[in-house]
Amino acid sequence: MRNLFAFLFRYHVFFVFILLEIIAVGMLIQSHYYQASRFASSSNAWSGQILEHFRNSTDYFSLKKMNHLLAEENALLKNRIQKSAMQISPVKKGQYEYISAKIIKNSYNKRNNYLTINKGSMHGIENGMGVCINDGVVGIVRDVTKHYATVMSVLNKNTVISTRFAKSNHFGELLWDGKSHYFAQLHSIEKYVDVSVGDSLITNSFSSIFPEGITLGTVNRFQRDETENFYTIEVDLSVNFGNIDYVYVIKDMLKEERLELESKQNE
Amino acid sequence: MNKGFQHIVRFIILIAVQVLIFNNVQISGYLNPYVYILFIMLLPPKLPKALVLILAFVMGFTIDIFADSYGIHTAASVLLAYIRPSILSLVSVKGGEDLEDISIKQLNFGRFFTYSGILCLIHHFTLFYLEAFRLNEFFDTFTRALFSTAISLLLILMIESLRSNPQKR
Repeated sequence: MRNLFAFLFRYHVFFVFILLEIIAVGMLIQSHYYQASRFASSSNAWSGQILEHFRNSTDYFSLKKMNHLLAEENALLKNRIQKSAMQISPVKKGQYEYISAKIIKNSYNKRNNYLTINKGSMHGIENGMGVCINDGVVGIVRDVTKHYATVMSVLNKNTVISTRFAKSNHFGELLWDGKSHYFAQLHSIEKYVDVSVGDSLITNSFSSIFPEGITLGTVNRFQRDETENFYTIEVDLSVNFGNIDYVYVIKDMLKEERLELESKQNE
Repeated sequence: MNKGFQHIVRFIILIAVQVLIFNNVQISGYLNPYVYILFIMLLPPKLPKALVLILAFVMGFTIDIFADSYGIHTAASVLLAYIRPSILSLVSVKGGEDLEDISIKQLNFGRFFTYSGILCLIHHFTLFYLEAFRLNEFFDTFTRALFSTAISLLLILMIESLRSNPQKR
């Protein structure tokens, strides 16, 4: 027993090192599980508050630009109301609720980017909700606390967005290769599909995260490799991640109904 | 000023500078400076090694929380703290045991550059490869780590030379 203690004491630095590394790598591995709740994220109360205070104090520099953007958006939405009043079918009416939120932490130059917003479970935000701005898709809500939430940006290796061409129904998956925050990559588009530069991509109705028809971007470049069955397509993202302040979180009122129905198929 | 207090102040200042300034300077994905590691580099060589590891853990964990990076800064910082004594013995005669604390003044510029350069390189490569978490982006991650090391090291040397010569400020 004494030898054991002597041994432990002699190499205690190494053991402390191994223990701490196991904790750190454990956190990293846990972060790859989508549903697990994570304590160590910027949505927790005190770090959220610090980030929010700092963001508030730097906000004054962009007030003018923000006013302009909001005015433009208002005009666009007014137009859309008029148009859609005639189109929306009564069943779908009110299916989606939009919750506006302010970004208090933004990042777009890491391999895995997360944003933090100033709304949380208190305002009805839940894990897995879609986040967008007027121009397009921003990401998916991940960790939620009472007052804050983190958003897994489109610019993250773990984000996959189901998308389709606006002109046809061919669908694929949007992923990000980590190189430029202006471009993402579209996968799983088969070679027989007709693709041209400038084709716009929108969200499809396969998942209950986003409503159908939110813009993602346009085809910037594509390549047809003879040895592969799929195109390599580069998408010019419509959202400029370096320049977003306010976002909308999308709440699907019929999500549970849909998930319940879909889960019956698996039984 | 009390030495312990000085390190606590340095801890807070470096976290604030890292989280509020450098994490928001987003020039390019290839330039991500991490200057907070200066805190671990400047801890006194006489401090128990296990305590240095725990302090590095706390530092990395705090940065992880603010950056939503889930453990990668913690892992890289703890590794840096573990390797620190060996690098210290590279640049000083008695493994740093004779040094009161670490600074450009104590070590001279060349040896401080070697010391911080090697540690910064190890830390950044660990960090960026853990962040990518896969090897098929090997070269891309490599360039990222290399460029970021250069910018971090430059900033660390700037901060350290300002700190070492307070009378010239």
